[in-house]
Amino acid sequence: MNEILDELVPPFGEPGDWDDVLRRAGRRRVRPIVLAAVVALAAVAVAPTLAGLLRHDGVGLPAEADRSNVAVVLAPLSRKVILEAAPWKGHDGFCYEVMHLRAGCVPRKTFGAVITKPPLFGWTFDDRVRSGVATMSGGRRVPLTVKHFGGRMDVTLFLVRGRVPIPHLLKGVVLRDANGKVVLRLRRP
Amino acid sequence: MIDELEALYRSRVQEFRRVAAAIAGDRELGCEAVQEAFAKALRRRRSHRGTGTLEAWVWRIVVNAARDARRRRPVLLESRAASSNGHAPTLPLELLTERQREIVFLHYYADLDYASIADALEISPGTVGATLTAARKTLRQAHEEVEA
Repeated sequence: MNEILDELVPPFGEPGDWDDVLRRAGRRRVRPIVLAAVVALAAVAVAPTLAGLLRHDGVGLPAEADRSNVAVVLAPLSRKVILEAAPWKGHDGFCYEVMHLRAGCVPRKTFGAVITKPPLFGWTFDDRVRSGVATMSGGRRVPLTVKHFGGRMDVTLFLVRGRVPIPHLLKGVVLRDANGKVVLRLRRP
Repeated sequence: MIDELEALYRSRVQEFRRVAAAIAGDRELGCEAVQEAFAKALRRRRSHRGTGTLEAWVWRIVVNAARDARRRRPVLLESRAASSNGHAPTLPLELLTERQREIVFLHYYADLDYASIADALEISPGTVGATLTAARKTLRQAHEEVEA
């Protein structure tokens, strides 16, 4: 059994990052209630002069993100940043922070994924994707905002717009190309 | 206590990661769960009243963080969900209950004794022993059925 367990989760080689723990502990989280207020989205590239826009009390971009090349998605009415993305320093991939609630870095080796805990958010490296819909139990369909970030990131991000669906009711996500043809289907296992 | 938490992190982070990854079902989510768990432990360090060891208290937070991560883990695309080498571990962990799996992971990956596992999961050492025995028996029977 030991051998199979070793194979199931091989030992980690990378050292821990205590500074990252300290950084996370030093930040206050924003209550999820603000999520329901987002009704529409717009994208804008952020120059360093807009750095003030990115100051907040919640989770921020990981330290591994290349902050010289940050792109954000804004809520057009409130002008609040709801999504930040930047190239991952030293890696082929990108780092993200979504609604100041969750952050991480994603290697390009993962084909694509959706995170089901609110806010519903995901990514794909398939550049054909132009639109998407989350399907819920009971047949409800929730449109997704889809945004492609080029350059070194070269990733397409999508997130729910409007009221956040109940995550355990999520059945899957369908992503389509410019002609409406289904490119990818993601489903809850 | 910050120094103690840092020392615990630096000395045991790999074991924390393996257990968290096993529970979460994903290596990256496991690592993320450990980072979040230690951050939470730092923020709430004053709530540790000294009942039980600091390590057991942290294990409890890590296990809970990994359970949360499992519930919100990414849904991988169907077409690329298979492992790259087409080979998957044959241990039928799906036959075990969630508690049995957690006890197996804490015992084998973190090398915790029954008392420490009991502290981490807030159950009795006797329950740990009985659960581990039952888990081993289930896995052994499944293995024998495959071999037969």
